[in-house]
Amino acid sequence: MIVKFILNGKPVEVDVNPRETLIDTLRFKLRVKSVKRGCERGECGSCTVLVNGNPVTSCILLTIQVEGAEVTTVEGLVGDEIFERLAKSFIETGAVQCGFCTPGILLTAYAGIKQGRIKSAEDAKEYIGNLCRCTGYVKIIEAVVKAASEVRGSGGV
Amino acid sequence: MGEFKFIGKRTPRKDAEAKVTGALKYTHDLEVPGMLIGRIVRSPYAFADILRIDVSEAVRMGAVVITPDDVPQKPYNPRLVSVHEVTFKDTYILTYRPRYLGEPVAAVAASSEELAQRAAESIRLEFERIYKPILDPFEAIKPDAPKIHERIMRGDKWIEVENNIAARLDYEEGGVEKGFEEADVAVERTFKTGKRYHMQLEPKAVLVVPEPGGKITIYTTTQSIHNTRILISQLFDIPESRVNVVRVPIGGSFGSSIQTNYLVPIAVALALKAKKPVKIAYTREEDMLDHSNFVFYFKIKVGARRDGVFTAAEFTNILDVGAHQVQPYPLLGTSLGWFVSMYKWRNIRYRGIAVYTNKVPGCAMRGYGAPEVQWAVETIVDEIAEELGVDPIELRLKNYVGRGDVFWGQGPTVRSIIKSDGVPELLLRGKEIINWDERGHPSQKKGRFRRGIGVGRGFHTSGAGGPISGEVVDYTGCILKLNEDGTLDYITALQDHGGGTLDAQVKIIAEELGVPPELINIATASTETTPYDVCTHASRGTYVGGECARRAAQIVKQKILETALRIIGRAVNPEALRIGYDEGLKQAVVYVEGTDMKMPLAEIARTAWQRNWGTIGAFVSHRATSAPPSFTVYFVEVEVDTWTGKSRPVRVVAGADVGTPINPDMVEGQLHGGFAMAWGMAFTENTRYDPGTGEISGRGLITDYKILTAADVPGTEEFTVILANTYEPTGPFGAKGLGEAATNPAVAAILNALYNAIGVRFYELPVTPDKIVEALKERGELEW
Amino acid sequence: MYAIPSSVEVLVARDLRDALKLASELEDARVMAGGTDLVLDLKTGRLRPRYVIYIGGLRELKYIRDDGSSLHIGALTTIQELLDSEVVATSTPLLRAVAEKFAYWQIRNVATIGGNICSASPAADMAVPLLVYEAFIRAESVEGSRLIPVREFFKGPRQTALRHGEIVAEIMVPYRGLEGSGYACFRAGRRRGHDISLVAVACAVKVGDGFISDVRVALNSVAPTPVRATSVERALAGKEPSLEVIEEVSKLVVHDISPISDVRAPAEYRAYMARLLTREALLEALARVR
Repeated sequence: MIVKFILNGKPVEVDVNPRETLIDTLRFKLRVKSVKRGCERGECGSCTVLVNGNPVTSCILLTIQVEGAEVTTVEGLVGDEIFERLAKSFIETGAVQCGFCTPGILLTAYAGIKQGRIKSAEDAKEYIGNLCRCTGYVKIIEAVVKAASEVRGSGGV
Repeated sequence: MGEFKFIGKRTPRKDAEAKVTGALKYTHDLEVPGMLIGRIVRSPYAFADILRIDVSEAVRMGAVVITPDDVPQKPYNPRLVSVHEVTFKDTYILTYRPRYLGEPVAAVAASSEELAQRAAESIRLEFERIYKPILDPFEAIKPDAPKIHERIMRGDKWIEVENNIAARLDYEEGGVEKGFEEADVAVERTFKTGKRYHMQLEPKAVLVVPEPGGKITIYTTTQSIHNTRILISQLFDIPESRVNVVRVPIGGSFGSSIQTNYLVPIAVALALKAKKPVKIAYTREEDMLDHSNFVFYFKIKVGARRDGVFTAAEFTNILDVGAHQVQPYPLLGTSLGWFVSMYKWRNIRYRGIAVYTNKVPGCAMRGYGAPEVQWAVETIVDEIAEELGVDPIELRLKNYVGRGDVFWGQGPTVRSIIKSDGVPELLLRGKEIINWDERGHPSQKKGRFRRGIGVGRGFHTSGAGGPISGEVVDYTGCILKLNEDGTLDYITALQDHGGGTLDAQVKIIAEELGVPPELINIATASTETTPYDVCTHASRGTYVGGECARRAAQIVKQKILETALRIIGRAVNPEALRIGYDEGLKQAVVYVEGTDMKMPLAEIARTAWQRNWGTIGAFVSHRATSAPPSFTVYFVEVEVDTWTGKSRPVRVVAGADVGTPINPDMVEGQLHGGFAMAWGMAFTENTRYDPGTGEISGRGLITDYKILTAADVPGTEEFTVILANTYEPTGPFGAKGLGEAATNPAVAAILNALYNAIGVRFYELPVTPDKIVEALKERGELEW
Repeated sequence: MYAIPSSVEVLVARDLRDALKLASELEDARVMAGGTDLVLDLKTGRLRPRYVIYIGGLRELKYIRDDGSSLHIGALTTIQELLDSEVVATSTPLLRAVAEKFAYWQIRNVATIGGNICSASPAADMAVPLLVYEAFIRAESVEGSRLIPVREFFKGPRQTALRHGEIVAEIMVPYRGLEGSGYACFRAGRRRGHDISLVAVACAVKVGDGFISDVRVALNSVAPTPVRATSVERALAGKEPSLEVIEEVSKLVVHDISPISDVRAPAEYRAYMARLLTREALLEALARVR
């Protein structure tokens, strides 16, 4: 069946079996590789994408569920002001180690900052449930909070 | 030491941009045209003999199918770090005799995941015998226990397996009986761990591409491209020159890919049969069936004199290996090494036995026995301190193996003298920061929420080098070449699991040559383009790899200076030539000391190119002559909710002696991550096995293997990192490793803090909330 | 497995009527809303229905409406939408409090209240506040519509009172009886981060003339279905809201539960936590009574 949605700002049309998961459509049909298979069970968040600005785990989402929606991955946020600040904050703080969880966490943090939900470290811990095994989260939270305050400071949100 | 230009600065890692934009490709992201997808068929029984495998349906579907009959039937060990004579081989690429639930017995490849899945599901297994799984090593060693393996190979010899014992190691030094007689107090305890799982975020994967001319290229999640190449070459009788393993970014590892993961030879076999590229990637549940940690059982007795000096130690170590050996024998040795190098016991007896059970094969997990050994030792040291009425920190300082002492490194064959030691500094600074003296005594603590402070002191070696060759292969190599524009290519087989070691090596080169790190390229690497490196493990990347890189940089420096001399022509004293980073020009220059003559390296490189003077480069193979300890000290304050049994970390002071820190951000990152891993080891992480079937409880879903989330860890203000002011003379610019030391003693600190909070010691991990509640209930201390 | 097996056919319902028609005509069919529970089960093979009827696109089932006497929540309202809703926060705060602890943000954005209760897991989070509020489940079918009191909705582990062909369209929470009550909820997990609940308790309590006039306590993960702690409720009715009374009565919760030992926790700990959380929830609810 044909499913139409917006991917990173561009309209796409894919012909999928209705049982196909969004992660598989993204990785195999649309070649978006930043969306990672970490557990395929909705537990780890490595497959996170934004659907209409909200983070979801694409591994347990069917592609039919995004009909007409806006889907965003990190590839689509390059150049976005909030994302650039966030990515820069991650890099400068040293919050990136093996990098496998990074795209998922960036998207979640991005959405949280953009929606005004993440202002403090407590907020960041509440909204970022993604798993990371390398960093122990301390620098990730630090980087997110730093970016959030920079965005607020510049009147971004 | 002096002021470094690049070392010690917080710099962004080179692959950060690719990681944040999602551009970096990991193994599963790779695709080649015509690629088939492989799926592994796994034994549904933990201990069985298969009579027949019916693949007719899968073949009819058009899948490529392999059974044990289609692959070389040579026993192998997937880990080639140990020398051949002590490599125990009991694994087969595919087997009719599975010895753990989930062991690969057949495999298929088809043009899509769905087809491969259906083909795999269509395969019928007919069993000859199904045995009750043996899940307890103490049951397995009983004389009447069924044999999990009958014959295995050790090196080139077949050996009989008795009582399911995979390996043993005994050691004695001095006389323990006399030592215990001298003791005024003795503490004897038994300890048991859970069976932890690495939970690296990237499940293992492999892509095998047959190339024209009979070569094969392998892309896989590995910590050692060279050992993967050698193993495949040996297993399939293909010359190494026709096997190329390419280094691919890896999503964490923590020891799980020191060995070549089981899916690699299976994918090779499928690719060779299909004559097409084959990719296999594990589901998360399959990954949990590929590897997990060992279960450790310790019995430790320590004797001490009234004046606090240790006099004897007896250590029995029983390893629950799982169904196949990946590295229990060397682990018996390193466990002993960690133990002996913690404190000066003076007299020691060690008995180590590794026992087979029908579980997922155990493999090294960050620390390779050190977190477990250091937990046990630090618990006992605390107990002795209490019994003697002395301060636990004083007792440690009095007895620990430190500067000037003989250090064992990873086992009995590797000894050196410790030259850098930040332990006193870390203990004394750390205790101030966390208010150690105000921690109180558990008996003083009341109420629902109780806080306690604990200390854990430990270390890890920097690699496994040594003055003579022993049972472990440990050397590395690199190529460093100057490009025609003055930038450099650094070519090494070392892998970065995430800790930033390759960036650290680049900074070392930068410091040696004055070339800014941005201009030093970490080249793509494969076995055919790099000198041999044994494996990126044992926290050896910075110390061994970095020193190798530094030596290569020295050679390149010499050649640059010679070339410069050629260009300058004039009567310049060669010894006055220097190379360094010029702040004004923001690039490397060769200059003549005492004059203002200088020439940018870029210009020298270009001239050499245009004048046909050849490539300036170095090829270095390096073995370290020692493996100096990086010491770490953790002070942890925990708060225990005595009503629910749940704990949280209130404050952490992590002290690290890494000699010269190459990148403080990465050092901190290792400590944060190491702490989180230790907390999981202490409180939540375990894979449990159904006693009847040998299946992992929870079906292997990580819903039931809980690692920490961001909500569980302390914040930046509550996690203090202190770095000791030390310098390791044998390390590149004074540096030592950290990866494993970052976690090793943290579990001990956490459990000692737990004791300080509630007055209960636990000798079995993980300490789940119900156990804490139970313990308090038994002591009549539940207050509601 | 990585994918939903090819033996499962997923059908996309065009509207509610279409969905009901499919539900009545097809045998061995499951209805999918957000899919956070179902898709997981399909991928792991725990469930292998012949059909899946996807209703997630039915906008007509996504709403939160206050009609003055009750709150009407469309079955496809996501947990995050409940959490963000002003109306829910003021009129049914217990729903909001439970939603706050539900999984993590990514899941909350997709999981629906209808899907959560229809999964009928013994650990179904949203069942607990609905039991306290004595909500009604409106089930639609081609034959018509009926209201199922939530207490009759859960029949067993992963079994509901829905008949073949019925789809949950709405959850209705009547305000009658809620005025002036204090509420609280607590949840036990293995770590502070998101986790399937080991035990969760929610309660609402009213005090009149110095005595407890109405109390409702519900728990999950300690019985084959989410349950009301009727022993506790009966023992509390008409009593003084004192610490001693609460401590005594909360122990009675063991009569209302039958926890099992599993990979997550031993039964004794679950029973223990049920007592503790019941006590905590009652105390906090009383403190909140207006």
